[in-house]
Amino acid sequence: MSQQSLTLPPTDRKAVRRRRLLELLGAVAIAATFIFLVLTQPADIAGGLGSVSSLVALGGFLLGALLLIVGVLPTLPTSTVVLIPVALVLNIVLGQLMGTSGLPFYLDSIGTVLIAVLAGPAAGAATGALSSIVWSFFNPTVLPFAAGAALIGFLAGVAARYGLFRRFYLAPVAGFATGIIAGVVSAPIAAFVFGGTSGAGTGAIVSAFRAMGDTLLAAITKQALISDPMDKAIVFAIAAMLVYALPRRTTFQFPFVRRFRVLAGKEPAARNS
Amino acid sequence: MAARLNPLTAMTAAAAVLAITTAASSWAVSLTVAVGAVLLSAAAGIVRRVLLAAATIVVPFWLSLLVIHGLFFPEGRTVLASWGPARVTAEGLTFALEMGLRTAAFVLVLMVFSFSVRIPELVAALVARRVPPQVGYVLASTLLLAPLVAARLGTVRQAQESRGLVVGRGIGSRVAAIRLQMVPLVLGLVHDAGIRAQSLDARGFRSTGPRTSYTEVHDSAAQATFRVFAILLALTAVGWRIVESLPAGSLSAFSQFVGGPG
Repeated sequence: MSQQSLTLPPTDRKAVRRRRLLELLGAVAIAATFIFLVLTQPADIAGGLGSVSSLVALGGFLLGALLLIVGVLPTLPTSTVVLIPVALVLNIVLGQLMGTSGLPFYLDSIGTVLIAVLAGPAAGAATGALSSIVWSFFNPTVLPFAAGAALIGFLAGVAARYGLFRRFYLAPVAGFATGIIAGVVSAPIAAFVFGGTSGAGTGAIVSAFRAMGDTLLAAITKQALISDPMDKAIVFAIAAMLVYALPRRTTFQFPFVRRFRVLAGKEPAARNS
Repeated sequence: MAARLNPLTAMTAAAAVLAITTAASSWAVSLTVAVGAVLLSAAAGIVRRVLLAAATIVVPFWLSLLVIHGLFFPEGRTVLASWGPARVTAEGLTFALEMGLRTAAFVLVLMVFSFSVRIPELVAALVARRVPPQVGYVLASTLLLAPLVAARLGTVRQAQESRGLVVGRGIGSRVAAIRLQMVPLVLGLVHDAGIRAQSLDARGFRSTGPRTSYTEVHDSAAQATFRVFAILLALTAVGWRIVESLPAGSLSAFSQFVGGPG
């Protein structure tokens, strides 16, 4: 898994710079979209469906997610690329299960967080965005949430990079913080594209806030602040449990894990030394 | 019919229709698009699967919308009925209906695309367009892997049950059971992925040259023209909606800004 690619790696400077640019543009597109939506929302939602907001939310977030994917994927080692489908299947299988249970949790990013911990923020972001796109073949309503999913993968990777996965009790804390950020960013999608719902359990909480007279975006953001941090705390804990259960021979094959000492414990002795 | 279309043409058409539906943002357009998608799926012979899959998504969605906006819509003026804090307003119901129709159109159009597209053709078309081969690999591999993973989970469960795994009532027992099934599943999948990575690397997965494909994707000049036309149409609809939404003053201020003073 960790061995060098048997074909020569491409050393094209220009291609590398172009990919960096794509990544950057993707991140900028997502950030700009979010800022635009938050700034313009009060006037828009009262005037009916908020058509411009939905267009901007859909277009900006999807464009950002696609740019991230195209920029990041070619830079990943094959061992990571091959793990991505596995992560996506885990996301989808567990997410579908939770979607039918009626609980206000999603648990649809376990695979994404797993990849982020093993392979870093860029891989996590690409996995999150791809997860939404591939999942939309079965359930199109997850497609607009691609940017939020990418953000979760990115933040999980950052948490792993700074050692928050070395101790089991720190992982849920990182998940909680990630959930706050991701929830706030995803709320405009739920509000402007889907009129405020992403499942039966979350819908009940949204209507409770609406009953108190909140605007739609405010109600959804508050709902997201209730559901998402708990949800991501659970997801991060599960991902940490899974990573700890993996044999060290497997986890230390990932350069990201070795380089930033993502997991506690020493590197196993090299077999052929 | 759908089989002979280039997957990119179908994808462009779906994206353009969605952009136009969102830009139009009227229940009549959404309804037309939804009905059109159903008719199209009937023509392609996949109407049962599309409707079934779409219904499992759209029906709970619609119910949730009705609960949120039908009962609580503080912006509503025309009150039809009220119990305590809950007020059924005409505006809320209209909003829920319009949102629901738009989402139904969104789901149906994408479902018709994803159920009619042939994944190998889509992957070949993407690679021919110089999209990184990893994207196509992830897409195709996930769709192939899903049933395998489900089967593997079944095997793991049987193995653990034969070793004496009994799922009790308590939450602790349930969590323990999930752990006993998930850990072997993920371990096995990660291990397999490692082996797959080696064989892919040995076959030049990361090489960046021209690639040949066994799958021949049908394309024609007419389809290429159609794609350009669809994109232009969608852009026009989006642009029209944005210009129309700008307050009248800001537009003239913008043109003054662009044109300079005087």
